[in-house]
Amino acid sequence: MAGITTHILDSERGRPAPGVRIDFSVMEEGRWRLVKSVVTNADGRTDTPILPAAEAKIGQYQLEFFIDGYLKSRPGVSEADIFVDNPVVRFAVFDAKQHYHVPMLCTPGNCTTYRGS
Amino acid sequence: MNHPPERPDLTRRSLVGAGLAGIGLGGTVAATGTVLAQGAPAPAPAQPGALNTGPTMQSGLGPRLTMHAIDNFHGTPGAGMVCDLSVREGDTYRPIKTITTGANGRSPEPLLIDDALKTGRYELLMHVEEYFARIGVALPSPNFLSLVPIRFHIRDASQRYHLPILFTPWGYSYYRGS
Repeated sequence: MAGITTHILDSERGRPAPGVRIDFSVMEEGRWRLVKSVVTNADGRTDTPILPAAEAKIGQYQLEFFIDGYLKSRPGVSEADIFVDNPVVRFAVFDAKQHYHVPMLCTPGNCTTYRGS
Repeated sequence: MNHPPERPDLTRRSLVGAGLAGIGLGGTVAATGTVLAQGAPAPAPAQPGALNTGPTMQSGLGPRLTMHAIDNFHGTPGAGMVCDLSVREGDTYRPIKTITTGANGRSPEPLLIDDALKTGRYELLMHVEEYFARIGVALPSPNFLSLVPIRFHIRDASQRYHLPILFTPWGYSYYRGS
């Protein structure tokens, strides 16, 4: 399976983060072009891959996670405590035959991302 | 949205010199004299930052933004990391300064201090691919991570903000520290 997928996890609660907008962009001629905006489902994932296998190609990609609204909606979270509100992850697909799973683990004060599987 | 200029010389860096050109890096690749980021175990790194520095205590200090780059691939400070600090203005990020971390993985001076610390959305762009290439880590080309944007929100200019960034060629974590 090739392409790009993601997953937003609220790592403070150990639960998926639903209803979070993600903007997916690709680098073209030195600029980021917005490909699509998607929203996470109840499992914190997207219903379809961010980039389907059939469209996978080498390049620079960007995921912007609009998690501030999700964090603010949580009971007990003060807006003043949200240090990481809209993290952006930029990464390369360097081999179009491989799969790139790029999770976002977040809390109000922290975020973590990595090449997952 | 505009950002500091991308560096195509880094994003398409050739690995010909490392003898890895044209080799798929889906798994472990043997290469004499280089450290592999993908595939284990890895031999000792060529020249990571020396681990001879101690923690810093900032309790009681005034408003400031400080940072600390930590190389979790080598277990050392992220020494010699180039970082571009910018602040969001409208839909763009305005460059403020570029620093290079010292042997302890920290900026030589606070990134912002006293009146220079203002509320707002900031970005610290870390030159991660360049960092690992410089100390001899063999990476795919382009690497999974190249220029890594660390975005955070300073909401109270009277407070002290510490920004630790833990990174490897394959991921990173950052948080509001102390």
